[in-house]
Amino acid sequence: MNMMQSSDEMAASSPAHRETIERFVETERRRQKKKVLANRVLAAGFGVFVLLVWGIATEGGFVHKLIIPSPIDTFWATGRVMSADYFWPNVWVTLQEILWGFAIGLASGTVLGVAVAMFDSVRATIYPYLVALQAPPKIVLAPIFVTWFGFDQPSKIAIAVVMSFFPMFLNTLTGLSSVDPNAVKLMRSLTAGRWKTFRHLLLPNALPIMMAGVKLCWTLAVLGVIVGEFVGASAGIGYLIYAMNFQLDIAGVFALIIILSVFTLVIYQLIEWLESRVVFWKQL
Amino acid sequence: MSSSLIDGKNLSKVYATATGPLVALDDVSFSIEEGEFISLVGPSGCGKSTLLSILGGLEEKFDGTLVLAGKHHDSPRPDLGMMFQTSVLFPWRTVRENVRLPGVILRLDKKEQAKRCDELLDMVGLNGFGDRYPTELSGGMRQRVALARLLAHDPRVLLMDEPFGALDEFTRETMNLELLRIWEKTGKTVIFVTHNIGEAVFLSDRIFVMTPRPGRLEGIVEVDLPRPRKTDVMRDAHFSELVFTIRRMLGVDH
Repeated sequence: MNMMQSSDEMAASSPAHRETIERFVETERRRQKKKVLANRVLAAGFGVFVLLVWGIATEGGFVHKLIIPSPIDTFWATGRVMSADYFWPNVWVTLQEILWGFAIGLASGTVLGVAVAMFDSVRATIYPYLVALQAPPKIVLAPIFVTWFGFDQPSKIAIAVVMSFFPMFLNTLTGLSSVDPNAVKLMRSLTAGRWKTFRHLLLPNALPIMMAGVKLCWTLAVLGVIVGEFVGASAGIGYLIYAMNFQLDIAGVFALIIILSVFTLVIYQLIEWLESRVVFWKQL
Repeated sequence: MSSSLIDGKNLSKVYATATGPLVALDDVSFSIEEGEFISLVGPSGCGKSTLLSILGGLEEKFDGTLVLAGKHHDSPRPDLGMMFQTSVLFPWRTVRENVRLPGVILRLDKKEQAKRCDELLDMVGLNGFGDRYPTELSGGMRQRVALARLLAHDPRVLLMDEPFGALDEFTRETMNLELLRIWEKTGKTVIFVTHNIGEAVFLSDRIFVMTPRPGRLEGIVEVDLPRPRKTDVMRDAHFSELVFTIRRMLGVDH
C-alpha cells in the first residue's frame, strides 16, 4: 500500500473541469504556434533585407561590381564554378583532406583525453605540455607544415589534425573530470573498479561535452585545411579561392565560399542530429 | 569478543588541508546491533559524513579499528548500500535501469534482479514509472528511485547521508514514513545522517549526537518511543523532551 500518490497522477474529476483544462491547453498551444511562426517570419525577413541591401548596393552602382559582385552575379558564378571541369577534382582533394584531418584529430584527441583523465602517470607526463601547446594559435604552423610535408595533401591533413585535436582532447578530459563526486562514491560503494566506473558513469557523463568537442573539431578541421591550401597547394577549394581572388574573379570566390559554407553546415547539422541521438537525455 | 554487527573503536580521521591538518573525527567509539536504526546528528563539521564514509569503506586511511560482521572493515563491500542527499540517478538510464545499476555492477542474476526491481518500484510507490527518465520526475520521486536502488542488491546495512535533506518539509515527512515502513518490513540496519533533530528522533532507535571542531561523539540518546510510529508521535511530550535533550547536548539552547 502506498501512502502517497504523485500529484500528476490525479485526474481531473468533473467533465466540466476537464473541458476547461482542455480549452486552456488548446489556447496555449495556438499562442505558442503563433510565436514560432512570428519568429520565423522575422528571421526570413532579415535575410531578405540583407539580400536587398546587397543587391541595391551592387546593381545600383554604389559599390564596384568587381569588388563586390551582386547577388545575381554570385548566383550565376555558382553555376559556372560547379559545372567547370576543374571543380569536382578539387572538391575531392579538399574533402579527403578534411575528412582525414577530422578523423585523426577526433580519434587522437579522444584517446589522449581518456588516457590523461584515467591514468595519473599519463597526466603527470604529458598534460603540462599539452596545456602549454594549447594556448598559442596552431595556424602559425601552417607554413612550416607545408615545408615539412610538401604541397600535397599530407601537409593540409597535418594542419587540420593539429587544429582539431585540442578541442576534442580538452572536451574529453573536461567531460570525464566533471562528474558528481557522489556518483563516484556510489560506484565505489558498489565495488565498481576503474573500468566499470568508466563504462557506466564517466563515459556517458562525458558524452554531452565530448559531442560539443566534435562540433568544434569539425569546424576547425575545415579551417585548417583551407588555410593550409592558401599557404601552399596545387589543388583544393582553398587553392581555387586563392587563385580566383588573384584573377579578380570575386564572383567565383563568393560562389566557392557559399558552396564551402553549405557543405560545412550540412555536415554540422548531421553531427548535431547524431548528438541528439547520442545524448538523447539532454532533450528530455 | 562482541556480537554487535558493527564495532568502532577509537575512530579518528585527520584531513590535510591548505590551512593545516583538520581533525574531522576525534576518537569515536560505538557499537551497532543488527537491525538497529541509528541516526548521526550534529551541525556541519561534526564529522557525521566522515563517519558514514568510514562505515561505507570509502575512507582509505583512518585511525582506530572498525569491525563489521566479525571482519576488519576498510574497503567497500557489497552488503552495504549508500544513499545521498541528491538522488545521483544517471540521466541516461531509465528509472528501471537506474534501480538495476547495483545488479549490473555486482553481476547479480538478471532474472531475479528484474523481478526485484518491479517489487521495489512497487514498494516505493513508483509502479508504472519504470520506463521514465529521471529528468521527468519530481525531486521526491527521484529520491524514491534512489531508495529503490539502495535496496536493489539487498544490502545488510543502509548508509544514508541526509537522504531527504533537499526535499521540502511535506515530502520529507512522507519519505520518513515510507522509510520506517520499509525498515520495519525488511529489518535492515540503518545508519542515517541528518541535521534535523526532529527527523532523527522520529526515525531512530538510538541517536549519536555529534559536535564539531573536532568532530566528537558527544553522547548517545536512546529513543524509547513505541513502534510502529506515526506522525502523531511528534505530539508526544516525550518526543519534545528527547528533542530538547539533544539540543542541550549540541549546545543550541540559549
